[in-house]
Amino acid sequence: MNARLNSASAATAHQRQWFAGLRADLADGGDFALVNADAPQEIFRTMGIPYVVNQWWSSIVTAKRRAQDYLELLRARGLPDDSEQYSSIPLASAFDPDPASAPWGGLPRPTIVLAETTGDASRKIFDLWGDQPGVSFYPLESAAENDVPTRWWELMPRDWERAVGSDRLDLMTGELEGLIRFLEQTTGRVFSETRFAEVMELVNEQQEWNRRTRDLIARARPCPLPVNDSIPSVMIPQWHRGTTWARDAARAFHDEVAERVASGTAVRPDERLRLMWIGRGLWFDLDFYRRFEESHGAVFVWSMYLAIAADGYLRYGDDPLRALAARFAAFPDQLYTPPWSAEWYVKEARHHGVDGVVHLVSEDSRGSYFTTRALEAAGIPVLELHADNVDARAADGDGLTRTVGDWLGTLTLSDRAAGG
Amino acid sequence: MPAALAQLLALGTGPGEAWGPAPVIGYVGADVPVEYLTAAGLHPLRLSGNPEAPHTAGDRYLGTGLDPAARSVLTRLLDQDYGPLDGLLVSRDCEASLRLFYALRELRRVEPSLTLPPVHLVDVLHLPHRTTTRYVRAKFAQVRATVGTWAGRTVDDAALADAIAAHDRLRALLTRVASLRRQRPARLTGTEMLTVVAATTALPVGRATALLEQLLKEAGELPQHEGLRVFLTGSPHDTPHVYAALEDKGLLIVGEDHDRGDLLHLRPTGAPTEAALAERYQYNGPTAPRASIRARAAHTGRAARDCGAEALVSYARRHDEAPRWDYAAQEAATGLPSVLLGRQPYGALDDGAAEALTALCPHAEVTR
Repeated sequence: MNARLNSASAATAHQRQWFAGLRADLADGGDFALVNADAPQEIFRTMGIPYVVNQWWSSIVTAKRRAQDYLELLRARGLPDDSEQYSSIPLASAFDPDPASAPWGGLPRPTIVLAETTGDASRKIFDLWGDQPGVSFYPLESAAENDVPTRWWELMPRDWERAVGSDRLDLMTGELEGLIRFLEQTTGRVFSETRFAEVMELVNEQQEWNRRTRDLIARARPCPLPVNDSIPSVMIPQWHRGTTWARDAARAFHDEVAERVASGTAVRPDERLRLMWIGRGLWFDLDFYRRFEESHGAVFVWSMYLAIAADGYLRYGDDPLRALAARFAAFPDQLYTPPWSAEWYVKEARHHGVDGVVHLVSEDSRGSYFTTRALEAAGIPVLELHADNVDARAADGDGLTRTVGDWLGTLTLSDRAAGG
Repeated sequence: MPAALAQLLALGTGPGEAWGPAPVIGYVGADVPVEYLTAAGLHPLRLSGNPEAPHTAGDRYLGTGLDPAARSVLTRLLDQDYGPLDGLLVSRDCEASLRLFYALRELRRVEPSLTLPPVHLVDVLHLPHRTTTRYVRAKFAQVRATVGTWAGRTVDDAALADAIAAHDRLRALLTRVASLRRQRPARLTGTEMLTVVAATTALPVGRATALLEQLLKEAGELPQHEGLRVFLTGSPHDTPHVYAALEDKGLLIVGEDHDRGDLLHLRPTGAPTEAALAERYQYNGPTAPRASIRARAAHTGRAARDCGAEALVSYARRHDEAPRWDYAAQEAATGLPSVLLGRQPYGALDDGAAEALTALCPHAEVTR
């Protein structure tokens, strides 16, 4: 099966068109925000402030093979080129002497940057953005909790107060109130409660479609779409969430997958191994995911992008601002902090009936040991693949392919042995 | 060597001294409000790593991309290297500490046979906002309750006020002792000062205070030290290995901006209340992993001038991410000859660092 999903092509085309429109709109100036992936973009959506997601831009730069050029720009200013590259690559666009040569015509200069104070270096990257002329940095606190309920995905949509904890929610709600006032003052725009409620409702609708799509794929045998089609189909609408386009794109994605399932369309009709990819996208080699279909009948049926859209975003409640706080106060925990991350990956692996997990572990691994441990304790084989998802310097592409191929060979052999 | 200094240097980061019958609570990071432990009659022991011992178990659970100091602490905890601990408070002073907490919490859940002590996260945040203060106060109320549970008694306001006064007294004495190395010639080396500070985080506050008072009385007997006066920025140092290596090359570390040195004692609590305590920890710093580049550079510039520093050295341990992002602004803020020793091994200098230092101080004299 080689035909690309229409929803993937449509999402990519929309993103290009939207970006071109953004550049045209900002040609004579105007408010524009660069925001972190885990930050509450819904506030900007509500106020009509255009934004680009930092890590999305990083993935574009990397996919266009420009990551090393950008890292060189950081290095030339005495800044680290080997620290938080996924977040730091867009910063280099502020130092680019030839911005027009950048992918898609280049990132417009933001007037506002928004990020959480996570990690030790992430905040520094945005400090440097904030030192650029005409750019204001609004930092958000990132809190942690002592005790967390394990099966968070059951609580998050409606019982998020219990899942996240009231202290964290009080803090994040206060932070968001501050952000709104900051944006009102700096942009002169209005934050309408009515509009905000609409945005929140659209986001929930969108994620409900993603949840249905995730469940369809989990149940389907064989897998109806390649994972590198599902990534743009879910993530581009994710960066536009809170719009009717994004909600409708999520529904179109679902309908197309449902149609494929009904018609028996498969990545590999002779699917022999169902695989899960844990970790960020391997942006410098997105073909990687399809390299083992022919040789091993192995299909990646899972990546975190659709799954976290399905489980990580839904928040209902009478207080939309507190619900938004609940969406982001513990967002990274869902993916990276045990027990939340570890138990969720096991749940998803079982839900999708995977035969094995390829676990991308960057040097700066977060909770990786516990994820691998939990999966193996559940009887699911895991291959840890050690590489960075945007910085290809340390990765031996052929070596990664060989490592996965050899491991898949052992899975196939063990299947044969089990089959007698 | 005067008696008090000899005793403090011998204690180092140990848990060496007998604690008596009171339970010992280990803690990680300078953001832990030790006042609660003192008020509850518990002994706080700040945990340090050991660069000379392998940290294989820590690497396994935390991954090899995290600050090796935290990996070493986890290894030592698993080896019960700190002696029996009745509890563990882990602050969120840097990413490595937070991940250490997560690993300990999860190990207690999934591998209970490892017999780790009960662990509690102290989530002090540092943005200068009222919302942050309110959050820190909520977290301190949790710490107070947990410490009360461990001690088997409630931490009352009077005991807390006494503890705040006792630790402020200790901080004031540390600041006076630190001034001894600012003198020309200095009466303490950086290595000695770091070790003295470490000893005070391994001793009951009363005993630490008495030793510092004695040290100040004996200050006239201290030897004199010369060298290229250096302000040290970058990673925190949980052992004196790097200080000793730098001072062996003719440097004299007259000040630093990490929380195992000057930043531990510069800011007092002031008022004997929980509100003041929360503000003290929220606004303590600015440390590399928690402060903005601008705040950090301003502090480094000011502190280096106050110390009469002649050069700036930034030592960034491998996998300690923040210092390298700060360096360019710190260099500009101090205006001093400077060098960045990046990606350094835990507790040591690599060959490149040695060369860079030679370029910084080709004519420095060692007089010790």
